[in-house]
Amino acid sequence: MAAQEQAIDPIHQFNIERLAHFNVGGVDASFTNASVFMIVVTALVSLLMLAGTSQRSLVPSRMQAAAEMAYEFVAGTVRGSIGHEGMRFFPLVFSLFMFVLFSNMLGLVPYTFTVTSQIIVTFAFAAIVIGTVIVYGVVRNGAHFLHLFVPSGVPALLMPFIVLIEIISFISRPVSLSVRLFANMLAGHITLKVFGGFVALMLGAGGFAAFLAPLPMAAIVLLTAFELLVAVLQAYVFAILTCVYLNDAIHPGH
Amino acid sequence: MKPEDENAQELHKRLEKLTSEIATQRKIARGEAEGEDEAHVQSTGQAMSLGFRVLSEFVAGIIVGALIGWQCDVWLDTTPFGLIVFLTLGTAAGMWNVYQLAAKTTTR
Repeated sequence: MAAQEQAIDPIHQFNIERLAHFNVGGVDASFTNASVFMIVVTALVSLLMLAGTSQRSLVPSRMQAAAEMAYEFVAGTVRGSIGHEGMRFFPLVFSLFMFVLFSNMLGLVPYTFTVTSQIIVTFAFAAIVIGTVIVYGVVRNGAHFLHLFVPSGVPALLMPFIVLIEIISFISRPVSLSVRLFANMLAGHITLKVFGGFVALMLGAGGFAAFLAPLPMAAIVLLTAFELLVAVLQAYVFAILTCVYLNDAIHPGH
Repeated sequence: MKPEDENAQELHKRLEKLTSEIATQRKIARGEAEGEDEAHVQSTGQAMSLGFRVLSEFVAGIIVGALIGWQCDVWLDTTPFGLIVFLTLGTAAGMWNVYQLAAKTTTR
């Protein structure tokens, strides 16, 4: 919502704008506003972790406490759901968690772009996770990995159906993983913008409507608090589901 | 040698005392927070995220089944049987996803 003459358009915030045009072998690889915010998010995460771990004092500063809490939290999640062997995936889970968390949080600041509200971004993350599961599962367990699709104690007659259902269920994992994060972010931001539009429209209408205009404004305050919760919760859900799926790669079979 | 040892011991004691004090303070803070709006909002948020998880798992199963069935029809020219069969299987997979989710949360 840049100019006042523009109609209120809650979708406008998700527009991708090309800032610098690049074309690599027929593929549009332009530098966009999404790229800018990806870099900003990565820089913020790096800044927190680098500055937080540079002092290493016994009594931590705020920065160090935040960095340590993030580490402890993700490490606890990984240990809790995969076990000690899962710590080899800690870098992956930690990077994903921090990136998703920071882009969700940064998206709540006005005039920013929410990277995780683009389904291609969240799907790329989900594809990385599932790709890791498949590659690592096959490398570690070989053919035994296929036991993931063959539960024990099923009558032979039902087996083909169960196997097909298990395979579809496995394929649906990256879809649900990516759609959940994307839809939560998209819905939250659209709701915020729609309520913001209400304020402008009601003030513009004048009279009794203008008198009621503070109501959606108050709703925005509440919604922003709620969106903050959703932002953290979705990052957490993404991390814990990554752990659950990676657990299948290490321990296939039910 | 000896005074250093004593010093270290004293430091250790102080650290332990601090840890226990922090733990009790945290307990008090948590007790106060419970039953208030904050805890309520948090549980609502968690319940909503769980609900959304169930929804997305179920829908994802159906969508994947439908896509496989549709592509199966396109390649093998079996319209409409591929779509029917795989849509049914996809629905079953969606149910299975939800069942696994529910089974896991209760056992934990």
